[in-house]
Amino acid sequence: MPELDLFNPTPEHAQLREMVRRFAESEVEPQALEHDRTETFNVALFRKLGELGLLGITAQEEFGGTGLDPVAACIVHEELSAVDPGFTLAYLAHSMLFVNNLAQNGSDAQRKKYLPAACSGEAICGMCMSEPDAGTDVLGMRTTAKRDGDHYVLDGAKMWITNGAISKTELGDTFLVYARVEGAGRSELSMFIVEKGMAGFSLGQKIEDKLGMRASTTAELVFEGCRVPVENRVGEEGTATLHMMRNLEIERVTLAAMSLGIARRSVEVMNEYARDRKSFGEPLNRFGQIQRHIAESYAEYMAGRAYTYLIASQMDLAKPGQRLDTDGVKLFCSTMGKNVADRAIQVLGGYGYTGEYRVERLWRDAKLLEIGGGTIEAHQKNMTRDLSRLEKLK
Amino acid sequence: MKILVPIKRVADPANANKVKVDDDATKVTSEGLEWVMNPFDEWSLEAALRLTENAAEKARVGEIVVVSITPGEGDTDHIREALGKGAERGIVVPAGTDEQLDASVVAKILAAVVKKEEPDVVLMGKQAADGDSAVAGTKLAELLEWPVVNYATNIATSDEGKTFEVKRELDIGVQTLKVEGPVVFTSSDRILRPDSIKNGVTPDDFEYADLGDLNSRLSNLKNIMAARKKPIDTMTLDDLGVELGVGTEYVKFTLPQGRSGSAEFVETVDELVQKLQTEAKVL
Repeated sequence: MPELDLFNPTPEHAQLREMVRRFAESEVEPQALEHDRTETFNVALFRKLGELGLLGITAQEEFGGTGLDPVAACIVHEELSAVDPGFTLAYLAHSMLFVNNLAQNGSDAQRKKYLPAACSGEAICGMCMSEPDAGTDVLGMRTTAKRDGDHYVLDGAKMWITNGAISKTELGDTFLVYARVEGAGRSELSMFIVEKGMAGFSLGQKIEDKLGMRASTTAELVFEGCRVPVENRVGEEGTATLHMMRNLEIERVTLAAMSLGIARRSVEVMNEYARDRKSFGEPLNRFGQIQRHIAESYAEYMAGRAYTYLIASQMDLAKPGQRLDTDGVKLFCSTMGKNVADRAIQVLGGYGYTGEYRVERLWRDAKLLEIGGGTIEAHQKNMTRDLSRLEKLK
Repeated sequence: MKILVPIKRVADPANANKVKVDDDATKVTSEGLEWVMNPFDEWSLEAALRLTENAAEKARVGEIVVVSITPGEGDTDHIREALGKGAERGIVVPAGTDEQLDASVVAKILAAVVKKEEPDVVLMGKQAADGDSAVAGTKLAELLEWPVVNYATNIATSDEGKTFEVKRELDIGVQTLKVEGPVVFTSSDRILRPDSIKNGVTPDDFEYADLGDLNSRLSNLKNIMAARKKPIDTMTLDDLGVELGVGTEYVKFTLPQGRSGSAEFVETVDELVQKLQTEAKVL
């Protein structure tokens, strides 16, 4: 039996990892600190992800994608996040929340119209679910869609939209927007493709002063009598809740992969520092307290990595039904990544508290992953509900 | 234009501290080493890609065959890497052990491959990052009775590789040569500058991006996936009619002495000079 490599199951996965790592180290790393400080999104660098063929990683080849599996998606997120989680979050919002969502749930006409530009990086895209007053209680959303001839009229506001703006004043290009058609039940959501330039669609505000993930933009988007052609409805009216649940699974797994990148980098930084830095005449890594930080971090990272890649390798993007473990990997990895970054700061002491050594940025970025894409409390709630239906674990 | 690009796998030069010698100090052990494509060969691969494409239209217009002589079973990882960057075909030659593959054996194997493949150009690294002997390219040209231009900084052709104008940097200035193919080139790192390659197909005003720290372009994911279907042929030493026979005998390897890690500060230049003479004994 050939040696099992959970993290690079085929030679192509290994080459993908190598390619993304080289790109990350040579082009993403050098700009990370500056974009964190200035709270700006590096649009030019983002478009390069399109040249590398990464933006449509799970989309069908005929629409400009590369048709790869969730493991490949995890590899890209892990490697990019090891150098710049903020930039990676913009990648995730575009390639998983928009591209993968439309690739899985859209019609061929919609895929043909919107995916090529999204896969090349010409268009910068995102997905709109949360609202100012509806987060974890997503089905409590209040954005409405009212049929008016061959259009729907959307009214409402969406909050925390990654890639919603590409600068302080400029909208992103194309979005998948969840809304409820008048008269539909609580769980009967619909999804619409909304483009920049459609009447009644505007940038409410670019959210400023975030703790972390500052290299990606977050925005409030406003729909005021926004007229969307009927052909931009994805699937039938009232069926988008299933689209949402299906796509949230790959979102959670790739967010977990981002935490893995943060953890890996943090372990590397603290390991190197503890080897080189001396205290009381000995390298730091001779001290038991430091050894505990390093060894526990590595073990937790590897545990999270094995869990995440196992679940990714079992996922079928076309089917929901992996909620328990897609919640599980994000629940475990998000807090793990934050803790490991925290330990890295502790090992580095004062240096760890400064931008130059990177781990303070990773620590700030890591916190978001306990909130975005499902709070850890939402994962706990959903997992416990799913587990309560099981008599025994397999 | 058809270009043969030989690729050697070497222990990652970025992790040179992992290299160890065996107990009787007659060879370098390969245990625990991470293998990478010889960076000098990567420069040549990049140059070969630029010679065989229309960069403005992102279209391939020639053929690159990469060949790797690999100890043991014939590891194809680095051939795949080159195919992922755009090369068309691969050839692996499983042969012997690292110690058995000195420059003269490598040149003989490559000469036999050239005779089968009949490329217009062989474009190879000026040396390998492990042995650093910088002999194989010249030796290959001698066996083939082809011209060789070493350490090329610029390569230009306007007739699909029938003739080339090549530049090399010397102590006294830049030497420009005209050479007819078929020919062996070895490349300098300056071959990676944005304007170093002109192939008569890519528009002259096309600007290649600066590669920064990279030794060759990144693969793109579509090429990586397409590379799965590209052929890699195996040629054995028997196929090629070459026998292993080492011309170089290694007598002894020693690792460089570790540095003491101590530093001493001096107050004046005079004191520095005096210490360099009497203590460090380097002046």
